[in-house]
Amino acid sequence: MKFLNEFRDINSIKILMEKFHISGLREMNLMEVCGSQTHAIMKYNIEELLPQEISLVHGPGCPVCVTSSEMIDKALYLAQMEKTILMTFGDMMRVPGSIQNMSALKSRGADIRIIYSPLDAVRTAQKEKDKNVILFAIGFETTAPANASAILAAAKLSLKNFYVLSAQVLIPPAVEYILSSENIRLDGLLAPGHVCSITGYRWCEKISEKYNIPITVTGFEPLDILEGIYITADNVIKNNHIAENQYRRIVKKDGNKNAREIIEKVFSVTGRTWRGLGFIPESGFVLNENYSRFDAEKIFNPVPEINNEDKDCIAGEILQGIKKPNDCPLFGEKCNPLHPVGAPMVSSEGACSAYFRYKRKKQEQKNNG
Amino acid sequence: MCLAVPGKVESIDEKSSPKMATVNFGGILKDVCIDFLPDIKTGEYIIVHAGYALEKINEEEAENQLQAFIEAEYLIRSRTK
Repeated sequence: MKFLNEFRDINSIKILMEKFHISGLREMNLMEVCGSQTHAIMKYNIEELLPQEISLVHGPGCPVCVTSSEMIDKALYLAQMEKTILMTFGDMMRVPGSIQNMSALKSRGADIRIIYSPLDAVRTAQKEKDKNVILFAIGFETTAPANASAILAAAKLSLKNFYVLSAQVLIPPAVEYILSSENIRLDGLLAPGHVCSITGYRWCEKISEKYNIPITVTGFEPLDILEGIYITADNVIKNNHIAENQYRRIVKKDGNKNAREIIEKVFSVTGRTWRGLGFIPESGFVLNENYSRFDAEKIFNPVPEINNEDKDCIAGEILQGIKKPNDCPLFGEKCNPLHPVGAPMVSSEGACSAYFRYKRKKQEQKNNG
Repeated sequence: MCLAVPGKVESIDEKSSPKMATVNFGGILKDVCIDFLPDIKTGEYIIVHAGYALEKINEEEAENQLQAFIEAEYLIRSRTK
């Protein structure tokens, strides 16, 4: 596929690895913020290609992973209401709530459906007029415009049976939270390319200046990630505390103005509890008063269960980059993709599922070879 | 969730609301909402996330990036000779 395969080309990767012979390279911790970047790093074994001085730390950029148990419980509450269809992205289905997940509830008869796009929920509401259709809206700034657009479509159609449970979260406050933490020392960051395609990267410049740390807006193919790491490492050595854009074919400094206008029309900023990180003020989106008639929380007042997370699960420390998945006592044993305990094992972007999928393959190859 | 896939705009349904386009992903055609890219044209490349086009791919920048690798290859080969 065009604009995909070229950025996975092995010869180009080999060439880029030549560039890594730069003088003055010292030990450094670089964090890739986005879960999709973590997966690419695992899948293409990027960490092993790097000089040993560079350590990669996995960030909290997985909106599925950081959705709180409480929020899952609210979704389960809504799904159990009469004549209700709950709709969400596929990898939300097995994220643990306090007692169960959506997949388990679905097998008990609740009408919970997987969608590809928020517009699918609008279309379902149009077709099934006698049911309440609730969109469980998750995601970062990459998905927020799509969720907002779906709400605008519902408003235009004057739908009376469409609602949204918003669990949306924002990247910049999470990045600041991590950088303010005393638990981890980071020398550089790879900022999420698709979030920045919407937001632009002026926020990266501000954070770079505030925390004296180089940040590189980075894409998701192996060539992009390697180039992003190279630029960041180079800036670390030269003490350039600046933001740079590696993902120039997609990201502009001011992002996508149309997408941001749609977000601002529908949402306002609110505080959010992040699974593993705790409460972060001004770190999420909620429907503003002009669209509160679509807000499932306001209309139905869903009640969460009492929080019951497994005490041995270290998802919080993994999401902050303090520990790695194979540091967890449950990893690969009690917690695996078939029976996930924590959210990072469930999500296709979670660090734990990436480790399970790609690191275990390597181990098996070692054993068989 | 940040996964977005590149595709080529094959046709645009001007009368639709929200505005939809048919996009070709390596042979697979899907309907995509192009509300965030009102000026997008047929034949241009975009990245798509959750059924929505997020941004147009700047083909010149993509070429520049790939060209830089080809030139680096040339330099390395001439260095080792």
